[in-house]
Amino acid sequence: MATPIVEEYLEAIYKLKAAGKALGTTELGKELKVSAASASEMTDRLVEKGLAEKVPDRGITLTRKGQKAALELIRKHRISERFLVDVLGMDWKDVHDEACRLEHAISAEVESRMEKLLGNPATCPHGHPIPDRQGRTAEEPVRRLSGLKRNQAGTIAKIAEEQRSLLEYLATLGMMPGSDVHVEQVAPFDGPLLVRVKGATYALGREIAEKIWVKER
Amino acid sequence: MALSCCSAVHELRGQADFVFALAGNPNVGKSSMFNTLTGTGAVTANYPGKTVEINVASTRLAELTIGLVDLPGTYALGAVSEDQWVARQGILDGSPDVVIAILDATNLARNLYMLLQLQDMGLPVVAALNLVDEAEKKGIQTDVGKLSALLGIPVIPTVATRGDGLETLLSAAVSAARALRGDTCSAGCEGARGSSGGVGASGIAGGGSGSGGFRLPSPARYGKDIEAVVDGLVRAIGPLQGRQLPAVSARGLALLLLENDSQFTELVGNAPGGRQLMDEVGQAAARIQAAHGEEAALRLIRERHGLAGTIADEVQVRGSGRELLSQRLWRLTTSPVTGIPILLLTLAAVFAFLFVVGNLLSGLFGSAWQAGVSPLLQWLIHAIAGNGVVAKILTWGPDAGIQAALAVGIPYVLTFYFLLAFLEDSGYLNSVAFLTDRLMHKFGLHGRAIIPLVAGAGCNVPAIIGTRVLTTMRERVIASTLIVLVPCSARTAVIVGALASLVGWQWGVAVFLLSGLLVLGAGAGLNVVMPGESSGLVMEMFPFRMPSLRTIAVKTWYRFKDFIFVAAPIVLVGSLGLGALYETGLIWKLSGPLAPVMEGWLGLPAVAGLTLIFAVLRKELALQLLVTLALVRYGPHASTLLYFMAPPQLFVYALVNTIYIPCIATIAVLGKELGWKRAAAIIAFTIALALAVGGGARFVLSAVGLG
Repeated sequence: MATPIVEEYLEAIYKLKAAGKALGTTELGKELKVSAASASEMTDRLVEKGLAEKVPDRGITLTRKGQKAALELIRKHRISERFLVDVLGMDWKDVHDEACRLEHAISAEVESRMEKLLGNPATCPHGHPIPDRQGRTAEEPVRRLSGLKRNQAGTIAKIAEEQRSLLEYLATLGMMPGSDVHVEQVAPFDGPLLVRVKGATYALGREIAEKIWVKER
Repeated sequence: MALSCCSAVHELRGQADFVFALAGNPNVGKSSMFNTLTGTGAVTANYPGKTVEINVASTRLAELTIGLVDLPGTYALGAVSEDQWVARQGILDGSPDVVIAILDATNLARNLYMLLQLQDMGLPVVAALNLVDEAEKKGIQTDVGKLSALLGIPVIPTVATRGDGLETLLSAAVSAARALRGDTCSAGCEGARGSSGGVGASGIAGGGSGSGGFRLPSPARYGKDIEAVVDGLVRAIGPLQGRQLPAVSARGLALLLLENDSQFTELVGNAPGGRQLMDEVGQAAARIQAAHGEEAALRLIRERHGLAGTIADEVQVRGSGRELLSQRLWRLTTSPVTGIPILLLTLAAVFAFLFVVGNLLSGLFGSAWQAGVSPLLQWLIHAIAGNGVVAKILTWGPDAGIQAALAVGIPYVLTFYFLLAFLEDSGYLNSVAFLTDRLMHKFGLHGRAIIPLVAGAGCNVPAIIGTRVLTTMRERVIASTLIVLVPCSARTAVIVGALASLVGWQWGVAVFLLSGLLVLGAGAGLNVVMPGESSGLVMEMFPFRMPSLRTIAVKTWYRFKDFIFVAAPIVLVGSLGLGALYETGLIWKLSGPLAPVMEGWLGLPAVAGLTLIFAVLRKELALQLLVTLALVRYGPHASTLLYFMAPPQLFVYALVNTIYIPCIATIAVLGKELGWKRAAAIIAFTIALALAVGGGARFVLSAVGLG
């Protein structure tokens, strides 16, 4: 059985790959808040275990085995979140960290009993789909808005923002799941993006554009 | 001149027959409309602890006095941001007879969102469809009659900058207000006065339908299941109404609670019977979430967007508008290839304008004062106070003091305000913010800060007021501190006059480079030290517009008036104090205590230290005084500074003069804009920095053999 650290890496690689980018150790380290050196060391261990591989041009990717392990973990995470909200009555905004601990602790037996108790939910409280036991998911490939280039367009899939006021503020401007966005300009030096949403143009700082996930059209 | 919002609005209500609030998105011409209608008599008010302001003024329509409350421009009326909170509170406290919603015809769907929200709260709304001229240029035609029918309210097309349609708008609002009061008498009827109320606590949903034919729109319009949930809540709210519940309609309250509005949730939670209601709201929200798979709050926002979009599509036809000059300009200013050169040119132009025109005017005013007013004042003072010490001190105050205020105020402050208002209203400031955002983030600021920072090189005073374009106090404190470190034109005069011309231009350049490095270092340092982090940028990019000269003039005048009221007394008192020190001879006694710092640490003659104190009045005064005092102390040979100060000493002197405390006008404006505690901290910081850098420079220079 994989250790929690290995599992965290698998999960991170899976999520970053879902964004559709070539993944390097620098980016991976950034996501997990560790140095690029330790991310590189850990990646080598994953490769040794046959969970990941390094492919030219596409960077770090998961093997079929790694992908299955990652999806199993995501499944446990999302079921745990559902459990914390639906059964224990916690606020959906607070459950992410708790679920991060639970996902490494619960067995397949507990997991399937929780799922049954919850009535086989399709999504986590944040609206992300829960993969089935075979690791199949309805999730479409999405990427961060900040990764789009000038004149690329997409549809907002989700906004990974925990801060309510910002989420609502963006929503009143029409930036919510389902809205189309078109990138008109990208400022130099990794600056803000000019995006067109519902007939108006907005400058969005990087830190905000990184939280908006879009399906490319 | 900031009044509390409550008292300002209540005073207005006492004087006016009707009170209307102006609400709308940012940059839809709301301020132009307000200014065109009211002229220059507006009063600015704000809520304690809030920086966003409300303007209040009155106008006349036939025999009626109409009070207008200009709310901050916002995209919605939630409690999520300060401007939205202030806009909503302004409406709730002011309880206007009618809310005039100003819509941008070029972006109707987004603008309708807030109008629908106003109607949802049960407020009586009359709409102004503004910028119809611009929409036509873009090939957008709006069926105003249909829009009016769909919304169930009067809609008046307007062009605020030209004043078109404004009288019709006011008349429509007046008849709506009359209809709501059930008041059918003709214009000029006194009965209207004081029969206050406007939006009352309850019973709005039914609405009045008097002679004006105005009625509140039929409320149900969102999805059927949502309306069913809302109806259930309205019934639950019914028995509670009138009992300490906020002044919105039952339907409005139900929607606000479903939207999880923090302010209303708390109000209701604390009201008697409120807990039970909140439980029902929770269940209702859960039903909506179960049906639509997203939070009830987001679902309602989505429904409102949907309705706004449907209405806009139904009433507008979009032709194939050609690309306008404004759009092309906009593309040019945001594209990195062309935008950065344009930005540099603009910054250079702003700087040159302040530097050249400001200097010219400053000199002109100075000599005019000395030739015309000064002799008269001196004669007057001597006639009253004789020729003693008192008279001499008095001449420092009104004469030197006012001249100083004049030399800074009108040439620099007024011209910069004008430039800033022009840049703001044209929409260019947003392009600038977009391009420089990344760079400014390193200093904990965002892109909008670059204009005031550059303007600081002309004069710090208007630059600090210019930091109002920043949103948080953290940003304003950082930006103001950096501005204070930017050598203004007066300090440049000392650098050039005492250093570059006497010792060599390289020395002058070195001072400029050093202060540039200090600005960068202080910015990066403050960003680390100050609590909080720079906010993420979400900013609408407005199309370029030719600003209306009238609006800019009014804006400039208000800001300038504010400046004069604050700065003039401080400059006057400060100069009197310095005058007393000088004329009584106390000044020479100060050179003793100053000696350890001046002679021991900075290696400057003590007399130079004295001039640094006086330079607080005006920085270039340091140089003049240095020559004057040197003549008194060392005799006629001292007319060139090199007689008693070596080049490295002059370097340290110019450096310290550049960095330490800003001049008295800057102190005044720092205190006013940021509060006196923050101002004192900034002043202390600059003194410490000046001493550290000055002393450091002295030892480095002597170490390399130049001292």
